[in-house]
Amino acid sequence: MDFRPLNDTERRQLISALRGNAESDRAILMDRRDTTFAGTTEEVTDEEVISAIKSVPCHY
Amino acid sequence: MFQALVNTASRLLNDLSRSWFRERFPAPEPAEAAPFLPRKYQRLERVVLTDEVSRTLFEEYAVHRKGARGDEETGWVLLGVRDVSEAVVLATLPAGAERSAGVAHVRFNCSGQALASRIVRQWDRRLIMLGVLHTHPGSLRHPSDGDYHGDSQWVGQLRGKEGVFGIGTADGTPAGGTLIARQPQPHMQALGELCLSWYSLREGDRNYRPVPVGLTLGPDLARSLHPVWVTIEHYADQLDRLCRQQAGVAFRVLSGPNGPALGVDVKLVAPGEVLRLVLCGDRAEYFLWRGDELLAVDPGEERVDRGVYLLLAELAGES
Repeated sequence: MDFRPLNDTERRQLISALRGNAESDRAILMDRRDTTFAGTTEEVTDEEVISAIKSVPCHY
Repeated sequence: MFQALVNTASRLLNDLSRSWFRERFPAPEPAEAAPFLPRKYQRLERVVLTDEVSRTLFEEYAVHRKGARGDEETGWVLLGVRDVSEAVVLATLPAGAERSAGVAHVRFNCSGQALASRIVRQWDRRLIMLGVLHTHPGSLRHPSDGDYHGDSQWVGQLRGKEGVFGIGTADGTPAGGTLIARQPQPHMQALGELCLSWYSLREGDRNYRPVPVGLTLGPDLARSLHPVWVTIEHYADQLDRLCRQQAGVAFRVLSGPNGPALGVDVKLVAPGEVLRLVLCGDRAEYFLWRGDELLAVDPGEERVDRGVYLLLAELAGES
């Protein structure tokens, strides 16, 4: 087992991912080979897209 | 009761009905979301259309102008992928037959577009709302003051708080010879007399900004839905309710004896069992697929969402 401290970039990314997960339900991605942190996803929900579609203003 | 509802298919019915299970357009494999960190969007520097999106817009604009409502404005919602300073349009959602439109306005039928967005996002979850293209009957190749009034408030909810806006006009001068598209200015496309002019508008902007347009090879992910758009509009609200309440609802376009139809699959608990709705215009058929056995089912209900739940209830009673 390899324990090592995260470097600054990794730490910032992980904190950002955790914040995104807590505040916006963004998924935290995991590397399927070794379960390491693989970033986050900015997945857009159906509701966000549909809300934008349903509020398209009349055009002239 | 279930036995009364279910009419076990004869071999003939099986043969006929199985034509509904041939996919006219196989659903693309869902794209895996690429991992990335939350990005900071910059101003749009370029809009890129795939070649099929570009063809859809020009072809359907030309067809619209020849139709019974050709004097009216029309338009499309544009879905795609937003990069830091670039937007790639990957799907077009038509205004719909149930749009409200005249010579000086168009309001899209958003119910059909909302359902269609659910369908195309099953195929690519990255798709987001990028903007709108609408047409002007005259030669105004720029969004109007009225457009600005609505768009300037609307763009705040888009990614990057910026939207893509296209204007279609039919005031170009066709060049002689073989018809090929031209790009007379960086933000304009022209094909024959049809012109598409592209702009962006960001929250707080005082006016639209011409944005250079580019082309790349790629699909219009919603194009296969256009032949069944009347069906999509007819069942939009009912299917939307079904999608919101029921996980695992999948859509596909099927080819059948009466032309293309919208297939709606509801997965059942047992492996390989599917309840499939085949929708064509205002006609709905239900099939229960159990391994090699295909059953035609009639829940005796006009609304398809209620029909599905009645059948699910019967199937639950069976187990």
